[in-house]
Amino acid sequence: MNAPEQHPVEALHDAIDGRLDEAGQARLDAHLAVCDACRRELMVLQRVKAQVAAAMQPEEDDEMPADLEARLRRSLDAEDQRQTATARPVASRSPWRWAGWAAAAAAMLALTIVWSERRPPVVVAPLEVAADFRQYAAGTLPVDLVTTEVAALERQLFSADLGFDVRVFDFGMMDFQLSGGGVHQVSGQRSALFAYRGPDTLRLLCQMYEGQVAALPPPAERRTNDGIEFLVYRDGDVTVVFWQEGEIACALAANGDPEAAVRLAFAKAVKV
Amino acid sequence: MSLTDRRAAFERLAMPHARTLYRAAFRSTGRAEDAHDIVQETFLRAYRTFDNFQPGTNEKAWLFTILYSIMSNRWRADRGAPDEVAVDDLDRRFAEALDAPDVNAEQALLRRVDAAPEVRRALEALPESYRSAILLVDVEDLTYEEASAALDCPVGTVRSRLARGRRLLFTALSDYARSLRLLPSEPS
Repeated sequence: MNAPEQHPVEALHDAIDGRLDEAGQARLDAHLAVCDACRRELMVLQRVKAQVAAAMQPEEDDEMPADLEARLRRSLDAEDQRQTATARPVASRSPWRWAGWAAAAAAMLALTIVWSERRPPVVVAPLEVAADFRQYAAGTLPVDLVTTEVAALERQLFSADLGFDVRVFDFGMMDFQLSGGGVHQVSGQRSALFAYRGPDTLRLLCQMYEGQVAALPPPAERRTNDGIEFLVYRDGDVTVVFWQEGEIACALAANGDPEAAVRLAFAKAVKV
Repeated sequence: MSLTDRRAAFERLAMPHARTLYRAAFRSTGRAEDAHDIVQETFLRAYRTFDNFQPGTNEKAWLFTILYSIMSNRWRADRGAPDEVAVDDLDRRFAEALDAPDVNAEQALLRRVDAAPEVRRALEALPESYRSAILLVDVEDLTYEEASAALDCPVGTVRSRLARGRRLLFTALSDYARSLRLLPSEPS
């Protein structure tokens, strides 16, 4: 565990707000790989940001005056009339007035320079999926539907209208039985989640969401099978494997043998 | 540009943001009439300085800069300097909440229940300076630089206010989750 003064607290917020360049992200990733406290802090702060954004969405019944725009237009009309009535030749204006406008223009120019295009938010989905897995393995991950029936979970997810086709994986041939699933969240995107129990303490968790694995941080390992690229991450004893199926990012997290987790992903990935 | 063209160009640019500005003002004042006055003053100031606006830049950030300038003048008049919290105490409480053995269960619980009213309450309880930074960056989607211009403070100050505000929110929401005294269900 690092000493508190070594924790890159500012970098965590920069990462959450999509402000890190590649070098900064690499430094943070290196720190996160060895610092459990920062991983947890990053995760909870991301959720706080998402909770705030969700809670402050406009509501239908807020106290918005129906005639707001009309009232603003009336005040602009009055301003137009005032401007017209008080218009004077330029030469009659005080030079101090122009000094003020010049200062304002300079300030606007400065603002223009710093208003650069926003970088997309940094995605730390591997850590999030690993944390979801740990919750599931600990028995504390809530799911919408507890079922061993693949078709039942598919119906549940279809009715949730996620905006993409969900294919619930069947791992029965590999000794993993479905235990439930539902709608979850990865990096702020709604995801379809499926959870499985294997022999002894082996557990397996899969998620699908609209996203691009190309935006993920550099993995510990890249593998290719049947023309599909797999990004392999390791977070302690949890192996997380990502791959792309069209517009959908797929994630599989498992404990136990890391190679076995990769093979499970190989078995279920479909080239799109 | 004729006066009519200038007016039309201003309305095309600014009017789509009127309701967003109103909501921001209402969140800060809690009073519909005050919010309307602030938005009206924002529009008038923006209209008067419209010739200085650089086309292609972020007009929403420009309007929020004016809005917060007006609101901060009112805050100073009403309440004096923005309130702060003791950083040592904040860091200690945040660390305790983060290190709680059931932190994951608490977070899961907040995803199951409708936590939005509690999030809004926790936001309202924040010091104004922290709340403003969070609202501008997390809700209005402004960059740190744009928020820095709107709040008339350095970018580093925006970052530190965000950090402290988010830590306070997490601490408050953890307290709330614990107060529910519910345990997430375990898949069988």
